[in-house]
Amino acid sequence: MNRVAIVGVGHSRFGRRTDVNVGELAFESIKQAIDDAGVDKGDIKDVVVGTMGSWCEELLPAVVVNEYAGLSGAGTMRVEAACASGSAAIKAACGSIISGEADVALAVGVEKMTEVDSPTSVELIGRAGSYMWEFENYGMTFPAYYALYAVAHMNRFGTTEEDMARVSVKAHHYGAMNPLAQFQREITLEKAMGSQVVSWPLKLYDSCPLTDGSAAVVLASEDAAKKLTDTPIWIRGVGYSSDTANLSRRSDYVGLEASVHAANRAYAMAKVTPKDIDVATAHDCFTIAELMAYEDLGFCKKGEGAKMIRDGETELGGRIPVNVDGGLKAKGHPVGATGVSMAVEITKQLRGEAGRRQAAIKNGLGLVHNVGGTGHYAYVTILSRN
Amino acid sequence: MPEEPALHSKRTLTLRFDIPISKTHEFWDSLRAGKFVTTKCSKCGNVSFPPQSDCPKCMSGDFEWVDLGREATLVTFTHVQVTPASFAGSDPYMIAIGEFPGGVKALARLEGGQPKTAKPGMKLRVEARVEKDGNPYYVFVVA
Repeated sequence: MNRVAIVGVGHSRFGRRTDVNVGELAFESIKQAIDDAGVDKGDIKDVVVGTMGSWCEELLPAVVVNEYAGLSGAGTMRVEAACASGSAAIKAACGSIISGEADVALAVGVEKMTEVDSPTSVELIGRAGSYMWEFENYGMTFPAYYALYAVAHMNRFGTTEEDMARVSVKAHHYGAMNPLAQFQREITLEKAMGSQVVSWPLKLYDSCPLTDGSAAVVLASEDAAKKLTDTPIWIRGVGYSSDTANLSRRSDYVGLEASVHAANRAYAMAKVTPKDIDVATAHDCFTIAELMAYEDLGFCKKGEGAKMIRDGETELGGRIPVNVDGGLKAKGHPVGATGVSMAVEITKQLRGEAGRRQAAIKNGLGLVHNVGGTGHYAYVTILSRN
Repeated sequence: MPEEPALHSKRTLTLRFDIPISKTHEFWDSLRAGKFVTTKCSKCGNVSFPPQSDCPKCMSGDFEWVDLGREATLVTFTHVQVTPASFAGSDPYMIAIGEFPGGVKALARLEGGQPKTAKPGMKLRVEARVEKDGNPYYVFVVA
């Protein structure tokens, strides 16, 4: 089987990007990634675009993105795995290289969420479950789905609203150090705790924002990677899984089973354990999601996620730094871009290019955890210097 | 921050769906009659909710309708204070997942509960309702 390496990364500024359309936004990260890789764009045989769409005017975003960047002619498709579309794009592009169909492929994640008004965006995400049984009569929202998990987790393990707020404080702390983040300012625990309730127990500061943004990675086969760069970052493990659309069909609400399965598959493929991971991004669309991710990824035992954040174990200098780019909460969450953005961050961490946010790299291993919907999809990708 | 120049599109798109329910219309018909039923596979006995005419476990297309009764237990809940655009004007509402004896669960609005006092394990009752415009639905009520 061919090995696959990330040989170039690009990342747009995240935020409310009313200055660019979807093609222009994607171009920002595509150009950086191609320049970073030093690859001739004519050598890119496959461009996979991860995007959920519906909030911007273009219905065929992959071809629009390719046209703007002069990539028309390459094989392409849009892939959708809700908020994990970016990781799904990387997985699909990896497949092209593993199979030998392409030596160099590009995975782009892009989302333009602010061309419609915020209530419409909230509506579109709220419909992303089992429409007929959760939305039509009941008006579920994205925060409401995760709030169902938060209440169950609080009830079972004694996790508190303050524990969740600590995740937000950490996210903003690192977001303040990330020039590409949507929110670049610190917040206090009091501010997070006092913010508007969105869907109890989740508040505004427990929730990721609506974001425009893009990220891109150039992927290469082992032969191509060795010609292009001295610092390839290898994709050592890719695990993915899914769960029911309808939440009422799930067995429990204190973790995401799809995350557990995806993580186990990724660890097995990479032949590593959670203890070997130096730095990680975890899918913190809501603060409770990050606490559950610590548990689901095996960073701690089930029910001990809150203890990890209280003890500072996931901060820089802690046992395993998580989301030191600001996470979805502060960096922003342009749905389809997020998984690729996470891969960009971990690549930079493993290359030692993360500046003030650099984690200590001992084993040369980083992990990307990207969830779509409320654990409807889950992808875990393990990256390595070796 | 000032907004950048934008072309305010004049074209609007309305999406309204006619969702087929012919294979499981008995569920909606039963709701109108005040009963909460679902499908049980005639071959392997698997009970599904939401109801479906094909068994997701053994893939058999033979099924029967079973009454889930009225009693359920609160599994988890939330209090939605920021509502979606198509629910604009709604007062905040509670949503619960309730479990029926036998383990089948459903998600619905929760009436008669308060976020501060609701607690997983509480006893609930499922009630069938019909909207003003005729669509049937169901809610959980604190027993």
